Amino acid sequence: MSPYGTVLAVVLVAMAIAFVALVRERDDLHRLLLTDLAEIVALAIIALVATDLAEALILPGLVVGISELMALSEVYLVKEGLRSVPERLMHIEVMDSAPAILAVALVIYGIVLSGFSGGAVAGCGLLFWFFCKGHDEAFEIIETASGYAWALWIVAFFVFMIAPAYWLFAVMLAGGGILLKVMAKMALVGTMRGGRDV
Amino acid sequence: MFDLPIEGAQLMAVEFGDIVAYFSVYTGTLFAFALLFTVLAIVSLPERPMDIVFGGDAYYTKEIPLDLLRFQRFMAIACGLATLGAVVSGDIFNFTLFGSMIGITNIGIVAAVKNRHVLEAAYQYGIVAMVATVPLFGGAAIVLASTGTLSIWALAGAAAVPLLAKIFLVLGVMGEGMAPFYIGKAEITRAPGAPYVLMIHVSSLLLFLRVVEIVLTV
Repeated sequence: MSPYGTVLAVVLVAMAIAFVALVRERDDLHRLLLTDLAEIVALAIIALVATDLAEALILPGLVVGISELMALSEVYLVKEGLRSVPERLMHIEVMDSAPAILAVALVIYGIVLSGFSGGAVAGCGLLFWFFCKGHDEAFEIIETASGYAWALWIVAFFVFMIAPAYWLFAVMLAGGGILLKVMAKMALVGTMRGGRDV
Repeated sequence: MFDLPIEGAQLMAVEFGDIVAYFSVYTGTLFAFALLFTVLAIVSLPERPMDIVFGGDAYYTKEIPLDLLRFQRFMAIACGLATLGAVVSGDIFNFTLFGSMIGITNIGIVAAVKNRHVLEAAYQYGIVAMVATVPLFGGAAIVLASTGTLSIWALAGAAAVPLLAKIFLVLGVMGEGMAPFYIGKAEITRAPGAPYVLMIHVSSLLLFLRVVEIVLTV
């Protein structure tokens, strides 16, 4: 049997396990999580093909899975009437004293890294800040920064196409733009709690 | 076309690189149906169901809130567009993606009605539709792995696609097109929502007809 066939058999067994778990589970929320587990198996089957084309197919599969998961979780929230904003989940002393310095360190390090990974690091810094300090007024700033980042990115593209001689300038613009963009996206993770700002 | 009995004459082929969307008599007919119902969803106003009080002569019509109407119409149009894509796509992975998009928009049409019973049915259907992406994408991946291409144009008549992949595709489409059964369960046809609910039936019917064509062709 080819390696592909062998691993495909293993994945089919994993699929069977996921489906049996889904059939046995009675709690709606747990079923939602288990469907995600089953979804990952589909991605594993695609990934098994191990070609560039298959890798390109994983991303749309992932997007479909995530969008379905989000739609279903929203249906679950409405169905169960879960509308109240949760109380603060966790509060420890370090969250009062440390956020400023940690967030600043992460954001500066992110700017030094620049680009996609820099955006992720800086976004983590902002995320930590919002987590500790609340996030009632910050959304507008993030939206503005995200819009400017997009404009920077488009300008950089135009420079690449129209005046390729200034590629370094365009790279800097695009790097800064994507830093802002990823930072803004990362900073939004987990802050959407259905409060009055959303 | 393809020298196979199912397609009929070739009407048109639209090439995007090696992805060829094709209109044969078969897929062209499906396309025309989907287009007709999409236009219907765009132009028609929702009906107002009438409730009659049993044992008396009182009756009243249900009012449909404007935001509900807008959302359902949007979802119905999106569902129609996804169906248009699914019935003419010449690429198996694109077909699966359009299929799951039909699944998502069907959830949207059902879940727009803020009624616990209806939402419960939408949730259960959503679980089925989500799980169905496993065989759907799995089938497409096995087609790619065993033949090296996803183009129906290239695969037609070669009988190179393994039976497992075909079974997976049909299973996946069954899961994605399962919505009408849950509609029956939710009795959404009695909730304010017609005619947009029609789009659910049309899309799943056309999706089934298309997957039959694909399985017989490749």
